[in-house]
Order: sequence, then C-alpha cells, then structure tokens
Amino acid sequence: MQPLSIRKLNVWYGKQQALKDITVDIPYHQITAIIGPSGCGKSTLLKSFNRLLDLNEQVRINGQILFDGENIYAPGVDVTDIRTRIGLLAQKPFPLPMSIYDNVAYGPRIHGLANGNLSQIVTAQLQAVGLWDEVKERLKDPATGLSGGQQQRLCLARTLAVQPEVLLCDESTASLDPISARGIEELLRGFKDKYTLVLVTHDIDQARRLADYVIFMWLGELVEHGPARRFFEQPQQELTQAYLAREIG
Amino acid sequence: MKRKKLRRAEDLFFTWVMRACLMTAAVVLGLILFVIFWRGIGALSWEMVSQPPSGGFYLSQGGGGVFHAIVGSLYLAAGATLLASLIAVPVVLYIHVYSPNGRLANNLRLALDIMWGIPSIVYGAFGFALMIYLGMRASLLAGIITLALVVLPILARTFDEVVSMAPRHLHETTFSLGSTRLEFLGVLLRQTVPGLLTAVLLAFGRGIGDAASVLFTAGFTNNMPEGLLRPVASLPLAVFFQLGTPFPEVQARAYASALILTVIILTISILAQLSISRLGRHVIR
Ligand SMILES: Nc1ncnc2c1ncn2[C@@H]1O[C@H](COP(=O)(O)OP(=O)(O)OP(=O)(O)O)[C@@H](O)[C@H]1O
Ligand SMILES: [Mg+2]
Repeated sequence: MQPLSIRKLNVWYGKQQALKDITVDIPYHQITAIIGPSGCGKSTLLKSFNRLLDLNEQVRINGQILFDGENIYAPGVDVTDIRTRIGLLAQKPFPLPMSIYDNVAYGPRIHGLANGNLSQIVTAQLQAVGLWDEVKERLKDPATGLSGGQQQRLCLARTLAVQPEVLLCDESTASLDPISARGIEELLRGFKDKYTLVLVTHDIDQARRLADYVIFMWLGELVEHGPARRFFEQPQQELTQAYLAREIG
Repeated sequence: MKRKKLRRAEDLFFTWVMRACLMTAAVVLGLILFVIFWRGIGALSWEMVSQPPSGGFYLSQGGGGVFHAIVGSLYLAAGATLLASLIAVPVVLYIHVYSPNGRLANNLRLALDIMWGIPSIVYGAFGFALMIYLGMRASLLAGIITLALVVLPILARTFDEVVSMAPRHLHETTFSLGSTRLEFLGVLLRQTVPGLLTAVLLAFGRGIGDAASVLFTAGFTNNMPEGLLRPVASLPLAVFFQLGTPFPEVQARAYASALILTVIILTISILAQLSISRLGRHVIR
C-alpha cells in the first residue's frame, strides 16, 4: 500500500522551476528521508504533499499526488482535510500565540475531535512527546517560555493531536542543540508503527540513522531513490556516490 | 590606534547628540504639561468636573463646569473609535488573509494614507454638507460619523502595520494544522490584539482632541448630552470658546478644561499600557 504517490510533479516559483518531473512512491509506515544539497527543492517537495505550497501566490504546480488513490490536486478537493491528514513539523519550533495547553488543544478544538475529553487528549499528546513532566505545572503559561527543544516537542504534540496519518518533518532538528535533536529523533523512530513519516534533512548521518527509504534530489530533479540499505551501500548514480562521499554538495 | 580613538570620539559625539534630542523632546512635553497645569489648576474645582455650566458661564460671574463637555467628548470619541474599528478591523484582516500584497490591498493603503493627510476641518465641512443633504441637524450622531472618518485611517493603517509584522510562520503553522481561513483569522487576531489596542488608543486620543471636525457636525450646547440626534458639547470646543472670551477667569477655565482633557488621555494611555502587557503574554516575538 502506498499512501503517497507522486506522479510527474512540476513546480514553479514564478518563472523558476523548482521541481522537475518528480515521480516516486512514499512507503507506508516507514521513515522516508529526502536528502540533497541546499536549494535542491527538498522543502518544496515536502510542502507539495500537504498543499502548503498553495499559500504562496506565485507557485504553479502541475502533475499529480495520489493520497490513498485520490489526486490531492484535483479540483474540488478539500484542502483543510488534506492538511489535517498530513501533518507538518517545521524547521524552527513555532508555537502559536497561546498557552502551552491551548497550543496542543488547538487542532482537536477546530476539528471537533475532543468529545468532552480535551484535557485527556492534551495530556496524552504531551506524554507522547515526553514533555508532560516538564510542563504539567504550567499548562496555562505562554508557550514561548519554553526552551527551543521543548518548543519543538510541543509543536510535535500539537501536530499529532490533529491525528494525522502522515507526518512531514522539514529539518525539524536542524535548529536544536544535539541532545534535543537526538530526543526528537528517538521520538520519530518510535512513531513508525503509527504514522508514515517523511523527513527532509541535509544531514546524511541523520538519514543513515533514521531512514528506511531515501530520496536524493539535485537541482530540482530526483536523482535516485530506494530502500536505505541499498541506497547507502550500493548507490547506482555517480552523483549519489559523489554526494555520499561528500565530494559535492 | 588613531582610528580607534576617532571611532570612540564619534561614538561619544553621537551619544550626546541623541541625548540632546531626547532632552529637547522631554522638555517640550514637560513645558506644555507645566503651562496647562499652572494656568489651569487654579480654576479646577470639583464643580468644574462635576457640573454642566449654569447661567453666565462664559461671563466672569458664571458658575458650573464642563461636565457636559467631558461626557460629550467621551461619547464622541468612543462612538467614533468604535465605528471606525468596526470598519477597519475586518477590512485589515480581510486584506491580510485573502491577499496581503494584491492590488486591492495596495490601493486601499494608498487611499487610507491620503485620508490620513486630509485636515479634519475638511471632514467637518464634508460632514456638514452631508448633514444638510440629509436634512439632519448638528448632533452627537453626525459628530460621531464625521469623527469616525478622521480616525479611520489612523486606526486602519496602524493596525495594518501591526498585522504586517506578524511572523510569516504563523500563516504556515496555522494552515498546516488544517485551519480554515476564518480560523487563521482568529489566531492572527490573538497575535495582534495588543497592537490593535494601541491603534484603537491612538485613534481615541486623536478623536477626543479634535475640534475642527465636530465644530459644525456635533455643534455645541450648555446641556448634558440628550441623545444621538441632539447636539453635544466637547472639551476641545469648550477650550476654544472659553479661551475666546475677554475674561481672564473664563480663560483660566479653558486651561482647566485642557488639563482635564490631558488627564483623560493620560489615564487611558496608562490603562492601555497595563492591559497591553497582560494581553501580550502569549504574543510570539
Ligand atoms: N518562496 C519562494 N519564492 C521563490 N523561490 C523559492 C521560494 N522558495 C524556494 N524557492 C526556490 O526554489 C528552490 C528550491 O527551494 P527549497 O526551499 O525547496 O530548497 P531546499 O532543498 O529545501 O533547501 P534548504 O536545504 O536550503 O532548505 C530554490 O532554488 C529556491 O531558491
Ligand atoms: Mg528547506
């Protein structure tokens, strides 16, 4: 089963083409890493999965992305539904302008998921990201009072509280200290049996540690993709070999 | 070595230039407050702030006070600010959520900037012409509408700037959680509410002090406000009329009225500062 199938996807920012003819399948309940040098289109590809690219008025998209067999770019698709089922964790932690509690409660509230046990949901999500013990005394405090690593875990809890099927992470550990980054990595690894994960990273070692499947991009094109083991041990393309050997990039 | 000395001297020089400018601003403000206080405190009494004028108030022997103008001014400024907010807030939020850099938004900004530059006497004349056309008399309602036009650009443009400063990621984060545009608007409002309050205050302060726009439209009276369709007195006009008499006692009352006006604005600013820091607790910087 393939939850996400990308078919001949092209994306332009104004006149500049950022993605060229991308076709790839994202495997179900595994961690897929998108790697490649800066500016190669990793974030663009990731944000095309939940139609976040639509927010930019300049962007033009053609091609298809099939999610559970349905093209998310077909006319008449409910964009909020796509974004609800495909969650995103951004590069920098960004709490919403509300309390710690309300940040996690935001999604369940707008989607009507609470059914009267909102505080149980909030507690469960904060526990799932290992933040509960640190914040249980100050749930009403501003979320901005937390450290960077704590904020990122809060953002993760907030995304999970919406009950997505797919979790996208755009270099979500890049702005954190190494210990917080490892903490997030461990969490993501543990989420595999519940979610399909897609991570963007330009840290090859992180991809080696986490990925089951790897997509390698270069200047807007997909160069090589495959199961992590084969990808790292027997890369087929010269470009991939050079990149993994850190000769280019 | 020489360069290091030069840079130090430069730094010292500009520090002092800036201090001098700061002092000038502070001294001017202090001087204004001092003059108003000095000349008004003598005439200020409980009667002055608690009673409308009685017979001969504008002659030296009259009694009573300017309570009618205090209330009238508060009604005018509050009404105008409310009316302007009801228009400005949805408009600003709309352009930011639906097309922040579109043609519509930019044309609107231009129009508001032009409106900001128009002197308030022109709004007064416009309001007056409109009143005549509609067959209305000078009234609280006409004053509120005219004053709302004066404060609308201040409120809308200040709030627009505040919303423009909201972090770009707010947009992305909120939508990536599956929010609709209306729900995003709610989050945006939470982020910008302290700034909105500042804009409202600025508008209120400007509105309560404006004389030219209410001169023909709200009229003036010696009575307490009697209803939306009746004329009302206002503090700036009270100052104007009192200062225009030949009697020193009445002129002193003008300074007392000005002092009252100043104290109202000061009180509101302080209250706002307090509420802004409370409301701003969750704002992302
Ligand atoms: N908002 C935008 N407007 C115009 N061009 C953009 C925009 N965002 C990205 N681009 C361009 O699209 C290309 C791909 O950008 P993208 O952000 O997807 O790269 P990336 O692989 O995520 O890079 P990084 O590792 O630095 O985050 C780049 O050439 C970039 O300049
Ligand atoms: Mg990126």
